[in-house]
Amino acid sequence: MMNAFLTQLSDAVSPDLISILSIPLTVSIHAACRRVYRRWRWPLLSPMLTSLVLLAGLLVLLRMPYPRYMAGAHWLSSLLQPATVAFAVPLYRHRRALLDHAPAIGAGLLCGSVMAVISSIGLAHLAGLGDGVARSLAPRSITTPVAMAVAKQIGGNPVLTAVFVIATGILGILVGPWLTRILRLRTPVGRGALMGMGAHGIGTARAFEMGSQEGTLSSLSMVVAALAGVVLIPLLLPWMNIISLH
Amino acid sequence: MRIAVQTARCLTKAARIATRAARIALQTALLWLLAAVCNRVATALHVPVPGSILGCAVLFLLLLFRVVPLAWVEAGADWLIAQLLLFFLPPAVGIIQYPALIRADGWRLLLVILTSTALVMAITGAVADAITRRRQRRAHPLAHQALTGRRSG
Repeated sequence: MMNAFLTQLSDAVSPDLISILSIPLTVSIHAACRRVYRRWRWPLLSPMLTSLVLLAGLLVLLRMPYPRYMAGAHWLSSLLQPATVAFAVPLYRHRRALLDHAPAIGAGLLCGSVMAVISSIGLAHLAGLGDGVARSLAPRSITTPVAMAVAKQIGGNPVLTAVFVIATGILGILVGPWLTRILRLRTPVGRGALMGMGAHGIGTARAFEMGSQEGTLSSLSMVVAALAGVVLIPLLLPWMNIISLH
Repeated sequence: MRIAVQTARCLTKAARIATRAARIALQTALLWLLAAVCNRVATALHVPVPGSILGCAVLFLLLLFRVVPLAWVEAGADWLIAQLLLFFLPPAVGIIQYPALIRADGWRLLLVILTSTALVMAITGAVADAITRRRQRRAHPLAHQALTGRRSG
């Protein structure tokens, strides 16, 4: 009854109007979720998770087909392009820290990137997930715009990758601070690299709550991990044939 | 008289906000242009690197060699990075196209992502931390000993 009414309602509004409305809808839901997170600061209230659940729930409830939503909203996500270029600014600002800690960051991120590919593909195989899903999982530790581009390149599904990246970030800020205690990481370099490599932008936001040094090193690690991933993931993937990919 | 002063103050504030918005918009457009050019170049030269990443490297070099002053891109870049999560949302919402996958494999996917993320974090953090501590010990043996209360090996 209710659903029939909603279907009628969404049919009555012209498709173009809905497409245009998808931008203010996304922006306002995101702004509201951000405000809620600032009030309580609870990891599961992470604005990324809450706004994704709310927005996806709303589209399903309104029976709005995704392409119709995306017809308008793709303008918003096209800003991911200049945002990736913008990573050059923190990289430039903290070039001294990058140079000072180059061996530690370089070695840590190399191990992390290799581990990301091996464990994603290996565990996906163990769990009995399909080949396409495994390929979409491989780039999930790096920041979304780059992860989606890498997924496309290695034969994964960029949309699934975008969701996996966000799941990685949210799970990462849940286990990351706990891991730094278990492993007794005392240096800001270790803690920052852990958060930036493991949980990209979402982890970096959390790393700034640990300290400004941790945050800076995390943002550096995130950018360098993305650059390394672009080169390493397509190189490593053929070797993974041995484990699982056909 | 007082009303005039208040109006003037209000107007200057509005003007300041408008200037800032205009600066962010202009710099964002500049970064967008750079990304678009690098996308074209990457496609034309068959470089297997996303254009936006190429753009990031190019902008870093331009800043490093002072071809582009930081002030030209700073405000726009800071704004874009602060809003990054918002730009992720539309592609992530695409998950609603795969209800069957979530129903069938959702828990297994979550478990794989959790385990893999923990492994990636542990190895990255442990390696980076070990190298940093070793370098600190070598550079300042006494300071390190005093800080940690341990004799370094």
